[in-house]
Amino acid sequence: MTAIPLWVRRPAGERVGWLRTVDHKEIGVLYIGMGVAFFAFGGLEALLIRAQLATPEARLLDPETFNQAFTVHGVTMILLAIVPLLVGFANYLVPLMIGARDVAFPRLNALSFWLSLIGGVVLYFSFLAGGAPDTGWFSYAPLSERAFAPGTGVDYYILGLAVNGAGTIIGAINIAVTILLMRCPGMAISRVPLFVWMTLITSVLILGAYPALTAALVMLFVDRQLGGHFFDPAGGGQAVLWQHLFWFFGHPEVYIMVLPAMGMISEVIPVFSRKPIFGYAFVAGSSVAIAFLSFSVWAHHMFAVGLGDTENAIFSATSMLIAIPTGVKIFNWIATMVGGRLRLTTAMLFAVGFIAMFVIGGLSGVSLAVVPIDLAVTDSYYVVAHLHYVLFGGTMLGIFAGAYYWFPKMSGRLLSEVLGRWHFWTTFVGFNLTFLPQHWLGAVGMPRRVFTYAASTGWGPLNLISTIGAAILAIAMVIFFVNVLRSLRSGEVAGDDPWDAFTLEWSTTSPPPPENFATIPAVTGRRPLWDRKHPESRDGR
Amino acid sequence: MQSYPATVRPPADAIGTLSIIVGVIALLIFIGVEGALVFAIWRYRASRHLGGEAATFERNRRLEIAWTAAPALILAVIFILTLGTMAEINGAGVPAAMRITATGHQWWWEFSYGGVKTANELHIPVGTPIDLEVSSADVIHSFWVPDLGPKKDMLPGVTNRLRLLAPRAGSYEGQCAEFCGIEHAWMRIRVVAQSQTEFDAWLRTQAEPRTTSDTKAEQILLANICVSCHTIRGTTAAGTAGPDLTHVGGRATLGAGVIPNDVASMRAWLADPQRYKPGALMPSVPLSNTDLDALANYLVSLK
Amino acid sequence: MSETAFIPAERKPPALGVSLGRSPKISQDRNLLGVAIFIASESVFFLAVVLAYVAYRDPGLATAKATLDVGRTAIFSIALFASSGTMAFAVRAESGRWLAATIVLGAIFLAGQGSEYARLLGEGIGPGSALFGTAFFTLTGLHGLHVLVGLVALVALVTANLRRPGAVRAVAWEGVSMYWHFVDAVWVVVFSVIYLGTLL
Ligand code: HEA
Ligand code: HEA
Ligand code: HEC
Ligand code: CUA
Ligand SMILES: [Cu+2]
Repeated sequence: MTAIPLWVRRPAGERVGWLRTVDHKEIGVLYIGMGVAFFAFGGLEALLIRAQLATPEARLLDPETFNQAFTVHGVTMILLAIVPLLVGFANYLVPLMIGARDVAFPRLNALSFWLSLIGGVVLYFSFLAGGAPDTGWFSYAPLSERAFAPGTGVDYYILGLAVNGAGTIIGAINIAVTILLMRCPGMAISRVPLFVWMTLITSVLILGAYPALTAALVMLFVDRQLGGHFFDPAGGGQAVLWQHLFWFFGHPEVYIMVLPAMGMISEVIPVFSRKPIFGYAFVAGSSVAIAFLSFSVWAHHMFAVGLGDTENAIFSATSMLIAIPTGVKIFNWIATMVGGRLRLTTAMLFAVGFIAMFVIGGLSGVSLAVVPIDLAVTDSYYVVAHLHYVLFGGTMLGIFAGAYYWFPKMSGRLLSEVLGRWHFWTTFVGFNLTFLPQHWLGAVGMPRRVFTYAASTGWGPLNLISTIGAAILAIAMVIFFVNVLRSLRSGEVAGDDPWDAFTLEWSTTSPPPPENFATIPAVTGRRPLWDRKHPESRDGR
Repeated sequence: MQSYPATVRPPADAIGTLSIIVGVIALLIFIGVEGALVFAIWRYRASRHLGGEAATFERNRRLEIAWTAAPALILAVIFILTLGTMAEINGAGVPAAMRITATGHQWWWEFSYGGVKTANELHIPVGTPIDLEVSSADVIHSFWVPDLGPKKDMLPGVTNRLRLLAPRAGSYEGQCAEFCGIEHAWMRIRVVAQSQTEFDAWLRTQAEPRTTSDTKAEQILLANICVSCHTIRGTTAAGTAGPDLTHVGGRATLGAGVIPNDVASMRAWLADPQRYKPGALMPSVPLSNTDLDALANYLVSLK
Repeated sequence: MSETAFIPAERKPPALGVSLGRSPKISQDRNLLGVAIFIASESVFFLAVVLAYVAYRDPGLATAKATLDVGRTAIFSIALFASSGTMAFAVRAESGRWLAATIVLGAIFLAGQGSEYARLLGEGIGPGSALFGTAFFTLTGLHGLHVLVGLVALVALVTANLRRPGAVRAVAWEGVSMYWHFVDAVWVVVFSVIYLGTLL
């Protein structure tokens, strides 16, 4: 433990093993580590998918392996990579940002992490135990019923997701209580950093959405293991019930995956524009609107199911409405930049990249909310393009922005800006090469989840481009890993406040001591550190 | 050629128009937002900054209201257009001239014209509004022929309706869109749109029992387990687990689009269907070479 | 590191922007707030299962009418409802006796449910037999599981109280009791939907 900083600045000689730690910062780092590891797994599965699809009628993977690859890819990226990454940042940062010593329930926090991790391990154990789940990340019944999925893959899916979800729910309770009750003096709820706001909203979404998934999983378990008939049409059950329950979880889940990333760039953009965020109240308030709406749009994933025109129209309308509060955020970020003095650090580049790419994904999302267009392109690569534009172009870029921004706080070392630029531009190019062509593929008829396609379809060239893009993305990710490892070994020492930032986490050492702050700060505005550094021009209100 | 009422557009056209409108709106928003972003970066980057501190304005009620209201207006327009097109692609009140039943199976299609069954190739009269009543025998499938417009999920135990209107004669390629298991990729559809007279003739043929006199090959087939899964009307073969083979020779492809339909391919398919469609629900039946030849010829002759 | 080296962060809890329910304590005590939020998410869970039951009510109604014993279950339900009352007394007086009464009532309810299960299974109705059985056993089983967890918490509370009477923190009493009332409230819904639903 010489060169590598400790993530927590403990007094000399004192060490608490990773297994026993209950420090929110170390648990945050554990979460982030889990997310990174599973992101690598999910990425490797993505590369397998792309390799198989590079040319028509390829035989690199047999259909079964391919189906397992995209199923596990989807589940991994969403539940085992993105969510842990975001929860990890929240764990690390929220107490620091609100001037608290730890989260409300430190031991429960450790439990959350270990449950989340065990859920992931259980899911991956299926590879060794006779086959991974191969029914897609939303595992529609009755395909996921015993009659059509007799192997144990789906059982591991049920168990893994249930355990992982329990961890996430407990974690959300913890974070919510922390934000509601543990703010330092003066830190009114209208003054917390926007990342904290979005994390609070995310916790509410988790608490409303995940239990529906757990309930659906229990029912599927009853069907598979006790011979039940919930989703078994032969026994009188209805296949659509699963879809309703799953998407009641699944749609809020997508905002669970994007709001914290939006919170991250809401921290990054003001600091590198040297301006307070524009329209704090609107950025925060629009998240509340998004949270409410996101529980009322789930059936936009089911337009082709035949629910009826009235139902489809209602869900179309609510889905479109979500574009309004989302747009508010986009405009506020841009307005924050206007009039500022922009420092285009790597963190800022990724934050700007988030805005640029997320808008594309959001607009394709709105086109999917238009029922007739959705009926034409649902379950095609157009949807695959949409979801990667919002999830990679949005969330992942946001996470990278956050990574460059907070890595110095967590490790005490700066990441290399030179490698950072390489990382950004290869990501940007690779990402667009991979996913832009997929819009066309979907529009001309390529369904998703096909292990191959006929040469006569003419989909070969665009798929090849997409695969090349994925390879470039892989290089980009390697650059990032190299950057992190290099910096851990020999990175430039960051100091407490390398970015001349605004919020409390930068007022303590890098990395912070176990108790976070020598004395609990008292704050008088939204930018407590700025106020301390510039008493003459503190934010007045 | 156009025999449908001029007021009824093929669903694909209606969706096409709507897509263009929404696409243009999206493009304009895209240009506006990305333009503003690029402008902000270019204009306010620090290296370009001519001294002085960053501005500190952080609120503007009017602006906030404007950029909340403008998207709302745009979306209202899109939503109204959406409602119109939704009604249109369902047939806009024009009754269908014909109803066909389509049933999804892992991984092939069954089409039924009032009891006359056929598989994988859907024949329809061109320019005629048709209601396809879709359902499934096992898991969820989805009927999708891009050039005919929208898709519709086929759920077990539920019957959904999909309005079809083929604007031109010829064949349309499509494919199952809902993931339905291992061979979802090779669950392709061919829709053949033909003139009413051609269609009527085709349907008459399909209604007849098998039209061959190769009784020797037929005996081979009837003596094998093929009969437990396949129907050939006019013989004792009456299985329903696999496609109806009464007129299999008339179809363009085998195995729902995985290989072309000729004697050589047929022989190869019968010898080892798993080679072309690993996981398909037709087993490899052990047959001698002579039996294979006889069967392949016989089946292809079932036009 | 010593806990006293610095001010405990929660010493001065800032006022909440929002009011979180009837008890003022919930908006100040992190344990109670945690339990309250947990209960909220549990409600979503039960709501999903109840809705599934409701979705399948009609096809299973005939079986439900023919096999469910509303009267007998009503009596066992009264035991559970009464246990909410004893729980309230227990909290008010921090009384181990009332707690014991709560446990007995809860156990009576579980026993009643057990006998109902035995009878149904004896008649050949199980989770795998038909849609009604699937939905019935899942919903009541999940509720029963929660009662069981509640009983475990109650027993733990009783034991702690016996070992060091008066030393158990008030929030522990409050927290367990909130959960117990919740389990009870869920049964009000479940009983109405499943059992009273057959009378309509
Ligand atoms: C981070 C994740 C994320 C986010 C944020 C979104 C955001 C949105 N999504 Fe997306 N979506 C997914 C992740 C996400 N989605 C995933 C994973 C799937 C596929 C699941 C699966 O099947 O596997 C999916 C699928 C999906 C579907 C179903 C497609 C199908 O399967 O047929 C639909 C349909 O309505 C949809 C709509 C939307 C809409 C309307 C938004 C809106 O919130 C977007 C709002 C944003 C903007 C519009 C841009 C900014 C706004 C402005 C600049 C203002 C001006 C704009 C206008 C006036 C239009 N999404
Ligand atoms: C946040 C979520 C997320 C992310 C980040 C990604 C990332 C990627 N996805 Fe993912 N994808 C989904 C979520 C996501 N995906 C979902 C939900 C589905 C639907 C699943 C379903 O249908 O059920 C899907 C489906 C999906 C498909 C469609 C499959 C199909 O329908 O058949 C494709 C195909 O191209 C694809 C490709 C990719 C690619 C190329 C990346 C790339 O961006 C990946 C880039 C990353 C890497 C390349 C990893 C690099 C790592 C290394 C090089 C290892 C080095 C390791 C160390 C040094 C330790 N994805
Ligand atoms: C266990 C059931 C089963 C048996 C036995 C069986 N088949 Fe099949 N057959 C199927 C199924 C299912 C398909 C559809 C496969 C697919 O496309 O996925 C099929 C497809 C076919 C096709 C292609 C039809 C088309 O239109 O694409 C032919 C020809 C065929 N079978 C002939 C035979 C012959 C000849 C035998 C006996 C030697 C036989 N089958 C035995 C189930 C069976
Ligand atoms: Cu049938 Cu996919
Ligand atoms: Cu959605």
